[in-house]
Amino acid sequence: MSLPNQQIDQDQLVARLRAKKADAFSYLYDNYSAAIYGSISRIINDEDVAQEVLQDAFMKFWDKIDQYDAKKGRFFTWMVNISRNLAIDKLRSKEMKKVGKTDTIENYVSGIEQSRLNHLNVDGIGLKETLATLREEERFILEMAYFKGYTQSEISDEFDIPLGTVKTRLRMGLKNLRKVLQVE
Amino acid sequence: MNIEEYISSGILEAYVMDQLSPAERTEVEQAAADHPEIREELEKIELSMETLAFATAVQPPEGVKDKLMQKIGAAEDKEAPVIALQPDKSTGILRFAAAASVLVALASAVMAFTYWKKWQSAENQLADMIAQNAQFAENYNQVNQQLDDIQNAVAIMNNTAYKRVVMAGTDNSPDAQATVYWNEATADVYLSIQNLKALSQDQQYQLWAIIDGKPVDAGVFDPNNGSFLVQMKNITSGAAAFAVTIEPRGGSENPSLETMQVVGNVTT
Repeated sequence: MSLPNQQIDQDQLVARLRAKKADAFSYLYDNYSAAIYGSISRIINDEDVAQEVLQDAFMKFWDKIDQYDAKKGRFFTWMVNISRNLAIDKLRSKEMKKVGKTDTIENYVSGIEQSRLNHLNVDGIGLKETLATLREEERFILEMAYFKGYTQSEISDEFDIPLGTVKTRLRMGLKNLRKVLQVE
Repeated sequence: MNIEEYISSGILEAYVMDQLSPAERTEVEQAAADHPEIREELEKIELSMETLAFATAVQPPEGVKDKLMQKIGAAEDKEAPVIALQPDKSTGILRFAAAASVLVALASAVMAFTYWKKWQSAENQLADMIAQNAQFAENYNQVNQQLDDIQNAVAIMNNTAYKRVVMAGTDNSPDAQATVYWNEATADVYLSIQNLKALSQDQQYQLWAIIDGKPVDAGVFDPNNGSFLVQMKNITSGAAAFAVTIEPRGGSENPSLETMQVVGNVTT
């Protein structure tokens, strides 16, 4: 679970992308595509469509890099939000929403734990165990919001949970996850 | 503005996940600019999301990169100088592995301590129970012994071969009473104490059989030795009476008749 999150490298990377350096783009893809693709493929099950969205996302990073404002957040946050929004738009345009959101997080997790991922399991703590430390209602909200791309108000509407509750559960879920992932 | 409340409302998570209206976004950005705690919290939320994304990364299919490089007008060049930008990935992994191993070690330590505590208390409980068990066994043996004594006593008392000689109190001690069970054929003598006063440490009671008008030693005893029936020295035939005197500990050759406590004739 290594994060290429050194701020200097990130600033440098952004600067080189703004300068339209192809090597920076190549680096960007090598280091971030798996994390981005993970976020997309959790929303879109169809591999071809997910691939399409991944390409669109990276093109958008390339074309819209000038819109990224470091003062408003981390570079990865900007990228992952672009990707997620693209994925959700695609999902809705193709009316595959219901089909696309059926997998449970457990299926998903066991899926990736079996795959050959260089980001995962280097530390001996599987994601499944990590998520298992959360309370079920927190895990559910996290699954819906983070892994499936639902907005907080969509979760509230669709599962009949008060919006305030959705918000606090998502918050507690992430907060507890932080402890386990040692982000503090 | 209550910052704690603002942070715990969940609006920052929604901001990081780009789920707010433009107006709300502006509000959060303003709040973050005004309050470093909010800026810090946002950073933490972003980092946890990012960590989660990398933890759940999925390798995209082959070929996507080539298409992208073509689109931006640069064929994938294997010798592109990307090395300069390469962050120390191994350090990152190592750092995370180190953090994880610390976590695992910590968890193990906690578990080890917990189990050690449990083991210790189990050990103590076991020791307690072994002690209790020994106590029970001892009590059982005692009771068993008493039961044996009583069974023997009852057998003797009910045996018609035994003569029952009730010894009544003398003028020295009118309330005293003891009983002798005497089997003339086997010469066995048993004593049952009903009521005899306690003696000082250097004194003992002594039982005498009166044979042909002379006292014969039948053994010494303590008034409260716990036994139901005390076996005394054998007395062969010819005893006409039994008596108990108080003697120095160990007994005397001749009775101190003035200390006689109880006396009773053998009925024929």
